[in-house]
This record gives sequence, structure tokens and C-alpha cells, in this order.
Amino acid sequence: MNSLFFHTLLLVYLAGCILHILFLSTGNQRIAKYGYWVTVGGFLLHSFFILLRWRYAGHPMAYWYDSTSFLAWAIILIYLCIAYRPRLRTVGVFVVPAAFIATLVAYTLQTQENTAIPTYLQNYWLIAHSSAIFLAYAAFIAAFGFGLMYLIEEKKIREKQHTLIFNLLPALGRSDELGHKCILVGVILMTMGILIGALWTQYVKEIKWAWVDSKVIFTIATWLIYVLQLSIRQILGWRGRKTAYSAIIGFAAVLFTYVGVNLFLPSIHAF
Amino acid sequence: MNQIVIVGTSHHIAPLDFRERLSFSENQLIEAFQLLRKHPDVQEVAILSTCNRVEIYAVTRSKDGCAALSNFLSNYHQIESQQLDKFTYSHQNLDAVRHLFNVTASLDSMVVGEPQILGQVKEAYAQSLAAGATGDILNRLFTKALSVGKRVRTETNIAAGAVSISYAAVELAKKIFQSLEDKTVAIVGAGEMSELTAQHLVKNNVSKVIVANRTYQRAVDIAKRFNGTPLAYDADLSFLVEADIVISSTDAPHYLIDRPSLAEIMKQRKHRYMFLIDIAVPRDIDPEVSKVDNAFLYNIDDLEMVVASNLKDRGQEAEIATQIVKEEVAKFHSRLQILEVNPIIKALHQQFQGVASKELGTCLDKAQLTPKQQKMVEAMTQSIIKKLLHQPTAHLRQTVNDANNDHAQYVHALYEMFGLEQAKDLDTENTD
Repeated sequence: MNSLFFHTLLLVYLAGCILHILFLSTGNQRIAKYGYWVTVGGFLLHSFFILLRWRYAGHPMAYWYDSTSFLAWAIILIYLCIAYRPRLRTVGVFVVPAAFIATLVAYTLQTQENTAIPTYLQNYWLIAHSSAIFLAYAAFIAAFGFGLMYLIEEKKIREKQHTLIFNLLPALGRSDELGHKCILVGVILMTMGILIGALWTQYVKEIKWAWVDSKVIFTIATWLIYVLQLSIRQILGWRGRKTAYSAIIGFAAVLFTYVGVNLFLPSIHAF
Repeated sequence: MNQIVIVGTSHHIAPLDFRERLSFSENQLIEAFQLLRKHPDVQEVAILSTCNRVEIYAVTRSKDGCAALSNFLSNYHQIESQQLDKFTYSHQNLDAVRHLFNVTASLDSMVVGEPQILGQVKEAYAQSLAAGATGDILNRLFTKALSVGKRVRTETNIAAGAVSISYAAVELAKKIFQSLEDKTVAIVGAGEMSELTAQHLVKNNVSKVIVANRTYQRAVDIAKRFNGTPLAYDADLSFLVEADIVISSTDAPHYLIDRPSLAEIMKQRKHRYMFLIDIAVPRDIDPEVSKVDNAFLYNIDDLEMVVASNLKDRGQEAEIATQIVKEEVAKFHSRLQILEVNPIIKALHQQFQGVASKELGTCLDKAQLTPKQQKMVEAMTQSIIKKLLHQPTAHLRQTVNDANNDHAQYVHALYEMFGLEQAKDLDTENTD
């Protein structure tokens, strides 16, 4: 059952990726429309799949791969929030593949049953804590996409190459603005996620608030990168290329916090 | 036999003064529709009259519908037919369809990909429709032509990329700023090109125009044209802090803006984007300026290069668009032919129904059946008609769709064999 869902989902997201890339290389708006609706279809299927997992496993975030699958879903959710405006569908070229990769990772990890969260922790605290954090990750990934779009467009403008991509990508001001908004949303969600996690330790006897936990440290470090960037933007008016670079650095931090920590460092966090 | 014909002139073959003579004013259009509708040959008509083209589309009965339209034009505008022949073109049927599709796809325009023509055709069609001049065929033709125009614009990049220097500058501004609405443009110095560019920017809702000149009076004169703020500048360039777009075209022999001074200005404006256009020769702005973060510099050569490459790209996109037009003409052709055989199929059904109900009537009178039995007999008759006609109808439709097949002989045979009197005045020949 799981495999069937994953296979279908992977195919749909792959089709979404291909259509978006095809759009960027031809400029055919009709292809962009197909790409958008295929991705919408994938999103609906994915939502259904998550609900089904919830019923079947008793909790939507019971395993590592559940979290990765949720991350993919969250990325698509944010894509849909942006790309309902046809002019912004180019962002799909950068974020739909990210969702596809996340789904692929979830699919390969689904056999690792030992990554389960202890059942006594499988409650609403866990849902609130992890969905806030993963939605924040997804927002940061979208910001990363806008950062790339900004850098590509800026390069085209500076090199005076008015190619198809130059025409299709949004204005610098727009990529910058949307990237900034994504970071803002991500920081708010991440703050909520951290606070919920901290409160959780106060209510549950089994776990102690662990400042020294590597996941906590890196999450706060990631959070600081974004907060710092937002502050500098506010005070000194940093924008454009610097925002784009910080979105890329932030993305690397997110990636390490989510994957690297679990691979290389001990942590009480299963994911 | 119905023919789609078009007679017209355009910038391709006729000079402006001829196009002027041939054009129709608003009132003339209504008059022309009335005259043409009275014409014994003309069944439907639509007129497209813009500054670049004047075209009459019509559906006519006679074979030389084009001649009828040419005569009308020559009489109405009192132009010698010799001159008219020299400066007009005419197309029939599929060529006429292709011509209109090319027009709405902007392939026939002076600048391929220009956006106005679609709106102009839409307007012309709406006027013809409102005057009751069009009919079934032209309605279909124009509706399709408009959708072909839209399809070409969404599926190709034919309209992408500015093709004049001032538009290229506006397009760039739009690619840098999210919107031009709250932006300020500063014109430094004077010149035709900088004023033209500023005009386009104002049209795109730039909120404020600063006109800076060494002599204040000159600044005031130019500022009047844009409702702008005049300013006399000396060495002090602090007004640039406010400017998002700078168009510079002074005759200063040295750089007016260099890298350190711009870096300072950018800092003061909190690094908000600045787009600098240097139209002056010799240049006003040090090329090093483009290394300042969030400042983008284009000079006249850059803009000219952009325009040249855009024109080249449009040429390539036009080939894709031509392919789309070809495809749509073929589709329209088969639809037109189906439209043509539909009355025959209808007549055939009517004839069969007539015979059946007549025979059924006599039979039901004689045989005294219960209502239930009566219904069964009626249903059986209907089913027999349907089944008998299914094969010939399907075959006819199929033949029509096959471009290699001449369906005219089938149509003719049906008329002869079934004596379809009512449908006799309908087309029996291939419209090609």
C-alpha cells in the first residue's frame, strides 16, 4: 500500500518537475499551467496519503520518513500558495524538484522501522512541534529557491543577456520581496516550533529540556542566521544579492540541522 | 456555393496615403455594412480598419466574391480599379482563413508579435457583429481567429522582448523593480531618446519625474512635458538619492557619476535598487558603477544589442507561430466541412422521418393496437431509421475529415439518390 502510494506520488512529482523545467526552457505558458495542475494533483494525493498514514500508524509523524514526507508536502503547500499566480510559476523549477527529492528520500527510508518515535511521545505536542518546524524548513527552502532565482536574474541583467530565462523569471524586486517574506514566515514558524518543543518538556515527565542536545543547538543556530539576516535588512537595508546569499547559507544550515545532525551527532531527536 | 473571401490592403503593399483613402470611419462602417448586406452575392461581412490595414472579410455566393468586394471598394471610395488592384490583395477560402489567422497571430504585423492587433480585430468583429453583418461562418471564423491569436501568445514567446530602445529600457526597469508605481525617475540633461524613455516610464505609472539640467530654465521647459520637478544641478548630485531610475544624456566631456560617489548615494538610499541608463556619447557614467551592489547600468550600446537580439528571437518564435497557424487552419477546414454536410444529414433524417410517420399513421389507423403496442411499434420505427442512417452518416463525416478525399461526389450522390429537394440550394461542391 505504502509503495503503491509512493510510486504514484513520485511519478506525479516527477511529471511536475519535468513540466516546470520544460516551461522554463520553452516559455510555453500552457505547459506551466499543466505543471501547476499536475502539482496540485500530487498535493491532493499526498495529503490523502498522510491522512492514511495517520490512521494506519496511529500518528502522522511516527517515523523519520513520515517527517521527510511531510516536508515534501509542506514544500508543495508553499509552492501552491505562491504559484496560483501564473507569473510566479517559475519558482516551481526550483522547489518542485526539492519536494520530489524529499519524497524520494522518504521512500528509501520507509523500511527503517527503527526510527520510530516512542509511542508515549506520539501525541499532539509532537504534531504541533514537528509540523511547525517542518513548515518553517519548507518556507526556508522556498526562500532558497527565490535566492537562486534572484542570482540568476541578476546575472542575466548584469551580463546583458536578455534570454528566455531573463523574460520568464520575476523581477529582482519581486524575487527579493518574496524570498524575504518566506524567511519571515519561516522564522515565525520556527520560533513557534522551538517554543512548543520547550513547553512540551515542561509537561512531559519522560523528557528533560536539553539545551545541550545537538539538534536543539543547531536549530537555534539556524534560527539565529535568519533572525540576524532579517535584522540587518531592517536596519541597514541589506537586500538583493546579500539576501539571496543568506538564504543559501540558511538553506545549508537547515539541511545540516535536519539531516547532518542525525547522521553525525547524537541527539534525543529522532528527526 | 459559399466562399470565404477577403480583399484588403496593408502596410506591406500600400503607402500610407492609399491606406488612408481606403479606410472606414465609424459612420462609414455602418453605411458600408448596409450597402454590402444589400449586395445579392454577399451573405456575411466584417470590416477591419486600422492604421496599418483595411480588410473586408465576406462570405459570398458567387465564385468571384473577391471581384464583388473589389468593385464595392472602388465604388465606395472612388478609386480607379487599376490602382486598387495594384495596392490590394485578395484571398479565398482557406487562404483567407490563413490570412486572418496570421493577422491575429501578429505574423502579418509591421513588428511581429506586437500586441495591439488582437484587440483591433476583436473590436472590428464586435462592430460587425453589432451591426448584424456577420453570420454563422464569419462568427466561427473570427472567434477562432481570436483564439488562435491568444494561443500563439501563450504558447510562443513571440511577444517577449522589447524591440525599441526606449521600450527595452522600460522592460529592464520592470525586471529590476517589482512595480514602477512608487518609483522616481530622474532625467539628467536633455535629449530626444531620454525624453521618449521617460514618457514610456510615465505611461507605466512612474510616480515622480525629476528633470535636472545645468540651466534651470531648460529644466523647467522639459519638466512641463512630464508634470515633473525641475532642478538645476551643479557638482552636487544628492538628488540622485531619491531617484530609482536615472536617465543620463548630458554633453559633459567627462564622467558625471563615478563609482565612489554612487556607492555613497546607494548607502544613503539604503541600497534600494537603482537603474542607470547612460544614453550620452561620450558617456556620463563610469562603467565601474555597475560593480556597485544593487545598481544596474546600461548604456546605449547595451540597449541596442538587447533590441537586436530580441528581434532575432522573435523571428525564431514566428516560425513556431506559423506552425500553430497551419495546424489551426487545418482544424478549421475540417470544421467548416462538417458544417457543410450537417444540413444534408439533417435533410436525410427529415426525409426518413417523414416517410416513417406517414406510413406509421396509415398502419396504426388500420391495426387497432393497445397504447403499449403502439408505443413499441413507434420505438421500433425510430430504431430502424437510426440504424439505417448510421452507416452513411458516419461515412460522410469521415470522408469530410479526410483532407485527401473529395467528399463532393458523395454529397452529390446523396442529393440525386434521395431527391433531397429542400437542401438543394446548399453547397454541393468542395469549398476549396
